Amino acid sequence: MNTKLKVSKVSKIYPGCIANDNVSLDFESGKIYALLGENGAGKSTLVKILSGVINPDEGQIFLNDKLLKLASPKDAKNNNIGMVFQHFNLFETLSVFENLSIDSEKNNDQLRILVNNILKKYNFKIDLDVPILNLSAGQKQKVEIVRCLIRNPKVLIMDEPTSVLTEQETEDLFLSLKKFSKEGILIIYITHKLKEVLSLCDEVAVMRKGKVVSISRTVDEELSSLANKMIGESLNKIKKMTSNNLSGEQILRVSRLNFNSEDPYEVNLVDINFTLNKGECLGIAGISGNGQNELFQILSGETLSNSGSIKFRSKEIGKLNPKERREYLMAFSPEDRISQAAVPSLKIYENVALNNFKTSNFFEKGLFNERKIKDHSKKILSNFSVNTDNVNLRSQFLSGGNLQKLILGRELITSPELLICFNPTWGLDVGAINYIHQTLLKINEQGKSIILISTDNDELLQLSDRISVINKGKLSKIMSAKEVNPEKLGLLMGGGLVD
Amino acid sequence: MNIDINFLGILIGAIMASSVPLILAASGELITERSGVLNLGVEGMMIIGAISGFALMVITDNLFLAIIGSMLSGLLLSFIFGFLTQSLLTNHVASGLALTIFGIGLSAMIGKDFVGIPGKEFPLLFVNLKEAIPLFGPIFFGHSIVFYFAFLLPFGTNYFLRKTKIGLIVRAVGDSPVSAANQGINVLLVRYCCILYGGAMCGLGGAYLSLIYTPQWIENMTAGRGWIALALVVFATWSPLKVLAGAIIFGGITILQLHMQAMGIRIPVQFLSALPYIMTIVVLVIISRDSRKIKLNTPTSLGQIFYKEK
Repeated sequence: MNTKLKVSKVSKIYPGCIANDNVSLDFESGKIYALLGENGAGKSTLVKILSGVINPDEGQIFLNDKLLKLASPKDAKNNNIGMVFQHFNLFETLSVFENLSIDSEKNNDQLRILVNNILKKYNFKIDLDVPILNLSAGQKQKVEIVRCLIRNPKVLIMDEPTSVLTEQETEDLFLSLKKFSKEGILIIYITHKLKEVLSLCDEVAVMRKGKVVSISRTVDEELSSLANKMIGESLNKIKKMTSNNLSGEQILRVSRLNFNSEDPYEVNLVDINFTLNKGECLGIAGISGNGQNELFQILSGETLSNSGSIKFRSKEIGKLNPKERREYLMAFSPEDRISQAAVPSLKIYENVALNNFKTSNFFEKGLFNERKIKDHSKKILSNFSVNTDNVNLRSQFLSGGNLQKLILGRELITSPELLICFNPTWGLDVGAINYIHQTLLKINEQGKSIILISTDNDELLQLSDRISVINKGKLSKIMSAKEVNPEKLGLLMGGGLVD
Repeated sequence: MNIDINFLGILIGAIMASSVPLILAASGELITERSGVLNLGVEGMMIIGAISGFALMVITDNLFLAIIGSMLSGLLLSFIFGFLTQSLLTNHVASGLALTIFGIGLSAMIGKDFVGIPGKEFPLLFVNLKEAIPLFGPIFFGHSIVFYFAFLLPFGTNYFLRKTKIGLIVRAVGDSPVSAANQGINVLLVRYCCILYGGAMCGLGGAYLSLIYTPQWIENMTAGRGWIALALVVFATWSPLKVLAGAIIFGGITILQLHMQAMGIRIPVQFLSALPYIMTIVVLVIISRDSRKIKLNTPTSLGQIFYKEK
């Protein structure tokens, strides 16, 4: 049977932000629809409305021309709308089967048969009796999908499903989604990844600042046209100018650095040697989990190395903690924005104050000078185009891109000599990535140095002057970015090429 | 030393009886905590249960009403806590502490007219069997109905949590209230029910003290048992059967060390008095050291305030 879902003039307003502004969309089964937009464009709000988690201020939703009242998630379920959230709604300590049975009216034996049939049909390999916390992200997502399938959904909504998946898992997911679509399930796919839209979806609706700005067939679109619609402006293509900095003044020298960890899950670093010049960007590539974490922590002073030396402007800093290193004008932007770089429950200005204990005059006789910090924070927000000017906002309400801008802003506003950043654009949308890349290029031009640890090869090739690859805790020979291409990088990362 | 077998039976029976209030309160608190709510008001709810039960017994002369009343009063007190933490979103720890202080004060106020009044004899079951069977008689027979209820409760609680749908829902809410709400579960209702149940069990535990164990009212007669019950729940890693084990160990060592003191064994009295606390923790830590199980049993959202997105 054909399923039609109609979103009609839906609006949702939060204090200080219009999350959905008069959104109207039509969906029909047999196709896969993409809902594309940057972080904070209003996609998640819309799907939360469709799944009954939040209620719209205005507008209606029709399923097969019948007006739906979605006052709670239960209503969405009862109307056969299934939803897989970006952050899984699973109970980590309960077993897979318990998770599935919790909202099912069937008795356990019937349910087990049904679930086993679904698992077999779609070739999902999940042990029903292990707790969720033992599963990989891909498996957890399958559990969520199975939970929807149990209820014979007419509509299946996937909210940024690939953000936690490996490449193989992503391919598997796409195959399953195409299968579901053939079976007559209407699929709405929310994402900010352009490539996925083109490879998976039939139609694409682009959202920007709460509004639907374009609806089109994906065959009529290409990467750049989608990107422009999503951002609302043409992106400046970023290309690093040929740099002459390779012979500049040496600013950092790391020699014979070793790190042996007692934690079996950490990677040992072996004989790390490199130098960094003023105004240079050194890229460190590698598959994640090859020692990047440990290297970042040692360079930032979160952990101390067992041997070797780190000389910053010919001062030995290897035994200093992060705070002391900041006083020497080093700055750090860790990978995990939420738990390492910022405290999500603190307000923006409090987060700004956190790492400026000594370098600023925010604290007088141990007391907090709130006005100074707030002014300073406002300056960061405007200088680094964070899309709010409310310094009292809790940081958890910032989207990933804005949070990253805030963190970079906080680090850079003190004009450090050296910035060490780790996956600065991880999980961000195109607009934010572009902004951050431009910022990094700019500080290079101002004569500041950067160590860019990243798993994104395009980013490394765009921004670095020299590149090294980390593999199993060892750095490869350092190459000039001009002599490296993606293939060579790939081989080095896999350990397939020994130099 | 010549220990006569009947004395051993009576000793074990006494140990079990002394652990009843701990089992009741801890089992109730366990359900509350499994739903993600940390109610530190156990001591306050127990003492209110103790005085309400005793007062009702004196006034109505009806033990059944006294028992029911004690449970209702514990429930009522926990409702205050529930309203504060679930509807007004106050901090669990602070609200629970306030509840304990409030309970102790209120019980002293109500209780000042009841000091010195003798209690009533509570009917005991299977008294004839107690005499008839050596060793096992005094252990298993001749106790009150509350005693048997208390010893069945951990098994019932275990079954409830592991095998029933509602038990599953309670665990789910404790694991992640946000996910539960997104699944259409009424988190507030579940948590309120668990809080009220916990309050009723604490009230009953208190009434056991004032009506059965030492039938009289003494100010502050729970003497920290509520805190022990709270500690038991945590050290038993939220497992009902381990709570039972912990309560018996605590009761056992409390009574044994009293006998040791009476025998004049040359160990400092302070050390003997501290022994039950130390041993209970040591034993529970040893039997609960499987870190995987701890992770699975611990209610992840314990003590977190939950509010619904609108």
